[in-house]
Amino acid sequence: MLLSLAPTPVRAQRPGVAVERRLAERLGLRVGDTMRLASSPDSAGRLFSVAAIYDPPRDPAALLKRELRLRMHLPDLAALLGAPDRIDRAGVALRPGVSAETAAARINLSAFGYRAAPSREIAAESSQTFAVVSRFHRAIAVITVVASAVFLLCIMLLKVEERRRDAAVMRFIGVRRRTIFGALLLEAAAIAIVGALLGIAIAWAAGALTNLYYQHYFATQVVFSLITPRIVLFGVALSLVLGVGAGALAALRLVRTRPAVLWGRG
Amino acid sequence: MSDGIRAPVLDGRNLRKSYHLAEQTVQALRGVSLSVAPGEYVAIVGPSGCGKSTLLQLLGGIDAPTGGTVSVLGTELGQLSDRELTHLRLTRLGFVFQRFHLLPVLTALENIELPMAEAGVARAERRERARALLDYVGLADRAAHRATQLSGGEMQRVAVARALANRPAIILADEPTGELDAATGRELLALFRRLNADGATLVVVTHDERLAAEAGRVVPMLDGMITCS
Repeated sequence: MLLSLAPTPVRAQRPGVAVERRLAERLGLRVGDTMRLASSPDSAGRLFSVAAIYDPPRDPAALLKRELRLRMHLPDLAALLGAPDRIDRAGVALRPGVSAETAAARINLSAFGYRAAPSREIAAESSQTFAVVSRFHRAIAVITVVASAVFLLCIMLLKVEERRRDAAVMRFIGVRRRTIFGALLLEAAAIAIVGALLGIAIAWAAGALTNLYYQHYFATQVVFSLITPRIVLFGVALSLVLGVGAGALAALRLVRTRPAVLWGRG
Repeated sequence: MSDGIRAPVLDGRNLRKSYHLAEQTVQALRGVSLSVAPGEYVAIVGPSGCGKSTLLQLLGGIDAPTGGTVSVLGTELGQLSDRELTHLRLTRLGFVFQRFHLLPVLTALENIELPMAEAGVARAERRERARALLDYVGLADRAAHRATQLSGGEMQRVAVARALANRPAIILADEPTGELDAATGRELLALFRRLNADGATLVVVTHDERLAAEAGRVVPMLDGMITCS
């Protein structure tokens, strides 16, 4: 449907229309203003009064469509389109406790020429793109985690390698293998936790910047990047497991070596 | 044990050590024997590569000889498990290294406490002993300083205090003045002299003629053998 918009001051009582805030801001409309709506640029259209300005629900699927919307009563829409017996879509509000599936089935049985579906089903259909993107994100995350684990192991081996002489001296003065192993493990855990917290801080800052940019770009309140407590917990736990695991492998290699070899002899 | 005959605290017999480098076998020690009596101050001297440090490592149970035996206070080191050997090094031997090797994240006091903590000494006691040792080496006012905040001479004195922490029977030092300038080297000489006067048994590997001159016995080495003692 094509609508042409033309604000016009008129005194008579007009049918009301609710205008999406972005559209109202773009046209400089306020509640009480009158506007002319038409189904095509060459038709005269009808006059409506702006009854409300509303914020649409945050819908990522609607972002790229760049649609600006307004809402009116169904008879007014039918009259405007000159097709009183035709609508493309209609939403049905159900009383609390009524099953959407049962209601949709009953509506579908009552007549032909349309299809009723629960909103969950429609949302799932329209979110297919996001599901595919989400799978890509998961794949990238898995690759990143594997690469990070290898990198972490290399870093831990290098860090431990730097401690060869210190470890040798500790063994010379009578410090047990398990004490050295425990100390290296503690250090690995501390590095992993600090790394995880640093990563979360960077992710939070990057997310905030992403939100700021795209919310401004799309003029929306949709949250594009969200760091939940679950993500933080998962990040810290994963980092701890990988860090301690890599540290344990590196430390084990060190404490199993004879002190004289660690010292560079033998 | 009869009067006048003192059993050695450290006894190395016919020690041999060889290393395999690529296709070659290097004989670092070729049948060295050395006994150290309680309270003795022995300096092992010789050119680089003559086997001094290898001998010290074998005497300290850090490395195992290819042949021969080492006894510390009558216990033959070859008979001990790795755990027993570690415990003996912790409680009976004190080590001082050329490059100090203090743990940089710990304070001077904590570095001295470390061997005592490992030996299970109670916290209050080890703190008191560590303070007394810092006082002994003249660094009472540096207790809270990290190793990295100390000068070379101070680090070496802390290392000596660490070596004394578990009241060892013998102190083994490998080039203890090697990284020190003349003035701080002299301070360490004085400290070793005082330690020996207080009854400590010292075995020192050194290039430093002044340090060797302080010792009661000088053991010269050449090509993996003691030339005369």
